[in-house]
Amino acid sequence: MMFQKKSDNLFFLFLLAVGSYALYTFHTYMDHYEMGILVGSIFGFSWLGNFWQVFKKYFLAVFLLSLIGIYFYNGNLISAETNFILKYFLASQSSIMWMSALFPLALLTYWFYMFNQQIFYGSLASKFTWLATTIGMTGLMVRWFESYLIGIDIGHIPVSNLYEVFVLFCLITALIYLYYEEKIGTMKLGAFVLIVINAAIAFLLWYTFSKGADQIQPLVPALQSYWMKIHVPANFIGYGAFAMAAMISIAYLIRDKGYMTRSLPSQHVLDDMTYKAIAIGFIFFTIATILGAIWAAEAWGGYWSWDPKETWALIVWLNYAAWLHLRLIKGLRGTLLAWWSVIGLIITTFCFLGVNLFLSGLHSYGEL
Amino acid sequence: MTFLQLLSSMRFAISMLSFVAIASIIGTVLKQNEAYESYIIKFGQFWFDFFEILGLYNVYQASWFIIILIFLITSTSVCIYRNAPQIIREIKEFNTKIKEDSLKNMKHSSEIIIKQASLKNQIQILIQNGFKVKLTEQGPDVLLSAKKGQFQKLGYFFTHIAIIIISVGGLMDGNLVFKAQEYLGIKQIEKEDLPLSKISKKSWLEINNFSYRANMLLKEGESQGVAFLPRKDGYLVQDLPFSVALKDFNIKHYSSGQPKSFESDLILKNKESGESIRKTISVNKPLTYNGITLYQSDFQDGGSKLMINLWNLQNQSSKQKMESEVFKSNQIVHGNEKFSFEFNDFRLFNILDIETDGKKISKNVGPNFTYKIRNESGQALEYQNFQLPMSVNGQQYFMSGMRSSQQEEFRYLKIPADANNDLRGFMVFKDLIYSSVNTNIAIDKVIDETQIGAANDPQAFKLSLQKVLEVFLSGGYSAVAQSIEQNIPLEKQTEIANTYIKIIFLIGNNLIQLYQQDYPNEDMYALEKPQQFIQDALNTLSDRFFYGHDLYLELETYEHIQASGLQLTKAPGQFWVYLGSLFLVLGIFCMIYIQEVRLWIFKKNKSNKAILAMSTNREHLDFKIYFNDMLKKLKKG
Ligand code: HEM
Repeated sequence: MMFQKKSDNLFFLFLLAVGSYALYTFHTYMDHYEMGILVGSIFGFSWLGNFWQVFKKYFLAVFLLSLIGIYFYNGNLISAETNFILKYFLASQSSIMWMSALFPLALLTYWFYMFNQQIFYGSLASKFTWLATTIGMTGLMVRWFESYLIGIDIGHIPVSNLYEVFVLFCLITALIYLYYEEKIGTMKLGAFVLIVINAAIAFLLWYTFSKGADQIQPLVPALQSYWMKIHVPANFIGYGAFAMAAMISIAYLIRDKGYMTRSLPSQHVLDDMTYKAIAIGFIFFTIATILGAIWAAEAWGGYWSWDPKETWALIVWLNYAAWLHLRLIKGLRGTLLAWWSVIGLIITTFCFLGVNLFLSGLHSYGEL
Repeated sequence: MTFLQLLSSMRFAISMLSFVAIASIIGTVLKQNEAYESYIIKFGQFWFDFFEILGLYNVYQASWFIIILIFLITSTSVCIYRNAPQIIREIKEFNTKIKEDSLKNMKHSSEIIIKQASLKNQIQILIQNGFKVKLTEQGPDVLLSAKKGQFQKLGYFFTHIAIIIISVGGLMDGNLVFKAQEYLGIKQIEKEDLPLSKISKKSWLEINNFSYRANMLLKEGESQGVAFLPRKDGYLVQDLPFSVALKDFNIKHYSSGQPKSFESDLILKNKESGESIRKTISVNKPLTYNGITLYQSDFQDGGSKLMINLWNLQNQSSKQKMESEVFKSNQIVHGNEKFSFEFNDFRLFNILDIETDGKKISKNVGPNFTYKIRNESGQALEYQNFQLPMSVNGQQYFMSGMRSSQQEEFRYLKIPADANNDLRGFMVFKDLIYSSVNTNIAIDKVIDETQIGAANDPQAFKLSLQKVLEVFLSGGYSAVAQSIEQNIPLEKQTEIANTYIKIIFLIGNNLIQLYQQDYPNEDMYALEKPQQFIQDALNTLSDRFFYGHDLYLELETYEHIQASGLQLTKAPGQFWVYLGSLFLVLGIFCMIYIQEVRLWIFKKNKSNKAILAMSTNREHLDFKIYFNDMLKKLKKG
């Protein structure tokens, strides 16, 4: 790989070095798929770092913090109670609590900025969001490590239950937002996008404190598959993007009514961002659903069983396919599509959460 | 509008898609493919019949649903057929006929200065930027037409052909063929539970059946050459090209006790060639043989053998032995009544969340078995007994759950374990307390120790103590409470109740002390907290009146026999569904991420002024930036 910028090349070399070291040290514990995923991520992350320059810093911060966490654990789960740094900052539960505190703070700051218009507060809000996303991701990484401390055979990637995917949802939605914040050059939309993230945080906290959902549980047999590792994150990029689209649509609708005209970007920009978010979400959601089908064929003996989760995924997919048809082919824009994308989020939320709450099926995680 | 136009119109397609969506929602809200009885209970006969006609119990296989799918396929095919020529033309075409005025009127157009008449530099720049270029002369003037991103249009073909391929693949794996055969009376669903040899050939599906998803339940050591397809309120038999034998079924556990894997060690034997292969399958690791894939899908007990001790809790008696098996029932005459004991399940591992030090920990609490005791009039109570004692608040108890219907939670009878973690201590205690010889001596000792009542009539006092014990043994603490309510004035009731409880306890305590004097070598009552044990034992004797039956079943030993549930799938459509999915992703990618761009430079004869115009069929905000970018580059040339 050769990039034009020196920092991109350095980043690639860094990833290559770390990846090779990991491969060299741990290859006896890995199967072919895992090696493939490792090598793939070297290139994937290099590309992402080139595509979005800030991502490099983010990656390094999470990488370093996670290493520090792992270092302090010193191979012993008890350290989470005894070590100061772990207990208050880097043990996964603490990091995720920090994340849960920083996202609300970021939301408040974004709204403050919305009204007083001083750029200082905007970038402060943005920094809080970055911080929350960094510490949250570190939490997931450290949790991954913790699961192996519980038992070598228990260790697994933290995308295996509702608690973990809610954290993932917050992180991915925030990252997608931060990308657009930089690209579009407006910090006003944080006030909207962060609402949906904070709703997820509220659920997460309730789920943690009333159900003890933050416990690391071993994987049930159906989840022991490498497909899980790609199916679930792909799905959540989809959900995250759809959620962002809906929040921007709300901003659009408010603007359309003639409110906040000075603080919000133009309708064109909002409309275009909604489209882009849905487009990204759609392609990832399509891939995720297909991966789900391939996985289902292996775990349940059929690529499509009309299980409620599958069926709702199809409904979500059809909904956004219709949205894209109308916009791209009929050239429809504006209020109707904005409303539609808001309703889309309701459908998506039902698929994501409602199915687990109200319907039963084969999907084996996330019962409440 | 002609019929074809209607069929291929977007409105029609979207209506069909909405139908699919709504039908799908119904299918997720109404639980699919349940036993018909449970629907009847839920909806009542009238609505049950109505929903049955609509096919709501299996929406996704209902005729109307399949018809919608076929309409969708047709509609999309016609759509492709009608749009294809136009789209191919557009892909090929350079649009060299465009006039100066229309270029000027375009949203993105600008005047630029160009010196070279040949437009050589511009052509080069455009090619570098991924454009295809064509130069034409319009009279004395020159028109340069360029285009880029033609693959976006291919996206249309990819996505829509993908929809067709996926739907066709899905229909291949549906049960269209069977539906037709059933409709024509060639095949028929079997509704009764019959041995294989009695099942009519009409309910058999041949080996060469095109596609199916069938189930097989195999006990360890058993072999089978057919599988079953549950259908509506019955089933079909699917003949297989091989037989499957289950050598062994294995559940592996994590150190915390939760299941880690379900594995079946199988031997498949080809019916024709006699060739056999042996392979272990597990969840997520199926085996494909002869185009049929075998999945680990389920497990249950395969008729474990149970060696049971029957203990009578209401008199002095020794245990009786009984042998049974899961899914068998034993007839027992007890008292003057006949009971049938129906054994339903045996579980080797039971993972429960146990609270220790305020933290919930998942723990394996050992084997249990489930049975029903049914009396002659057909009423039954369900029980679930654990073989090993379980820790509750730091004490060890043998737990036996009882409920009178499936909807209820089990309520537990707790029998305290003795110092050897055994049932014997309690049973000996029970025999002591039901033996009047022993209780007589114990009561004398109680009177001796406590000196109560000695002042009055000692004989009458002894009688009253005997009476209290008798009431307790005939109805537990609640009977004692009742008798107090009836015989004692209100203001004294609490005091007397406390005294009675204490007396019963002291009798128990003395029984054990006497026993230990008689058998000094027995160590089962060498307890740290004898009081706790005695109280627990008395509680058990009292609670048993809510237990529904006098007999307690102790599981002495067992022979675990398991059965593995397999699913056998033949899905020729799978390949097509995957291929279609690949097309779908490619197509969506083309449509969303490739932008089709057209660009023209119109240069008037002899003038160095030219018009640059650019257009796209999907206008996004970035396009303006792109236009300015290209403008800058081309100006330089
Ligand atoms: C199962 C049914 C269908 C599905 C799932 C489906 C899906 C899609 C998707 C995902 C796109 C891409 C949208 C985008 O650009 O992002 C698309 C585009 C399109 N669809 Fe469909 N479609 C279906 C049926 C139809 C039918 C029946 C028609 C006939 C009118 C149709 C006409 C079109 C057209 C004209 C385009 C745009 C092509 C272009 O100009 O690039 N679709 N469709």
